[in-house]
Amino acid sequence: MKKKVIASLLIGSVTLLTAGDFNEQAEKDRKALKEYFEKKFADRKNASAYFPYSTNEELDKNYKWGIKGDDFRLGSYAYNIGGKKQYDEMNEMPPYEDAIEAGKELYEKEKGIKECFPDPAIAGEYPKFIKGQGVETLSGAIVACAKKNGLKGYKLTKGKTADLEAYFASVSKEKGKKVHIVIDSKEAAEAYERGKKEYYTQRGYLKLSCATCHVQGAGQRVRNEYLSPLLGATTHFPVYRLKWQGLGTLERRLKGCNKNQGETPHKPGSKWSKELLYFMAYMSNGLPVDGPDIRK
Amino acid sequence: MKRLFTVATVAALASSVAFAQSDLVKEGEKIFKTKKIGNCIACHAANGVELDGPGSLGPKLQGLSAWPEQALYDKVYDPYTTNPISAMPAFGKNGVLNDHQIKAVVAFLKTIK
Ligand code: HEC
Ligand code: HEC
Repeated sequence: MKKKVIASLLIGSVTLLTAGDFNEQAEKDRKALKEYFEKKFADRKNASAYFPYSTNEELDKNYKWGIKGDDFRLGSYAYNIGGKKQYDEMNEMPPYEDAIEAGKELYEKEKGIKECFPDPAIAGEYPKFIKGQGVETLSGAIVACAKKNGLKGYKLTKGKTADLEAYFASVSKEKGKKVHIVIDSKEAAEAYERGKKEYYTQRGYLKLSCATCHVQGAGQRVRNEYLSPLLGATTHFPVYRLKWQGLGTLERRLKGCNKNQGETPHKPGSKWSKELLYFMAYMSNGLPVDGPDIRK
Repeated sequence: MKRLFTVATVAALASSVAFAQSDLVKEGEKIFKTKKIGNCIACHAANGVELDGPGSLGPKLQGLSAWPEQALYDKVYDPYTTNPISAMPAFGKNGVLNDHQIKAVVAFLKTIK
């Protein structure tokens, strides 16, 4: 009897929580992260504290300072002056235009795609937490839709899936959509927490965490490569990478970064990668959708 | 005659030791620069050594010729013993580099001014 009362009291208190409460911790994390990056890149004067191993000459010449929220969607090009110049040149003839066209055609002609995604301006809404199923990324949703309709040739990492994402991203961008990741249940909050933990866990034989390179290390260089910040890391996908000579999804990008850590890449579409992406995308909540884009 | 012989062997020995040492330095430098092995260059520039595109995640290495070999060995083996929040991987402890490879890297580090 007593047990029952307690149980019903508990249920009562759970229903009292509003949807907003489930993302309370995530909001705290997001604000703290944004503050960290805005401080880190605020001005040249305080830079030595954040860039202990960079030369004064490099800090004077190669960095742009005074960077704010939305600017971080550009990744390392937000602060790396030389890289930004190259990036602007590449963008004069964007190599992803054909992919947007191809994606549009798939959207209109492939059986069932439109029914799965009646509104194409949804690039900022994924990953989503689906009750009873777990995190679904945009690539995952597209591949599932293709499977349901018996369509061939859809993978999580590139090809038709990436083309469709390019179309979705460009429509979202045109409509001024922002990243809008929702955490509205206890299960969703738990998935977020697991993703966060993975992001900060040292892994692989090199024992590096994602954060070593993309939080603490953001702005510093690995060889000639300026490291991009976690804030804004997912806003601009899919990307055309020179290294790939083609378009790829976030799933494709994660594989490479697993290797950077000295780890055998996790499978695209694994729970691990989906929850990691859920966390990463939440950190960019409120930033404009900015895909598709180009990266080296 | 005997004496001459000794001088010759000593000289030969000495030169082969010197030769082995410079081989070790070369091997260490290769480990330092190679992506799939040590890849130290990803994070470190080195004073007095021409390197193409060293990173800035770690400090520019300098004055290491003055460090005791053991200290260098320990740093590469496990940087966390001297710096618990180091961003540097533990190359020995995690089995990335074996004892011989670390010794080679140390021989190279000793050439850094
Ligand atoms: C050894 C350093 C290192 C580690 C550890 C690392 N990365 Fe990266 N990452 C890079 C480099 C270098 C690039 C290419 C330059 C850039 O854009 O940051 C990159 C790029 C990326 C990008 C593309 C950013 C863009 O704007 O296109 C994403 C996303 C990413 N990393 C995610 C991760 C995740 C997730 C982890 C952990 C599972 C991780 N990285 C761990 C070095 C690293
Ligand atoms: C992912 C980045 C990274 C890599 C790769 C890396 N290091 Fe480091 N290293 C650091 C950082 C950060 C420090 C400074 C903190 C510390 O002392 O632990 C450091 C410090 C050092 C120091 C001490 C320098 C001083 O003046 O105190 C030595 C020596 C060193 N590293 C050698 C190496 C060697 C040799 C390799 C390759 C086998 C290597 N490092 C690979 C990041 C790295």
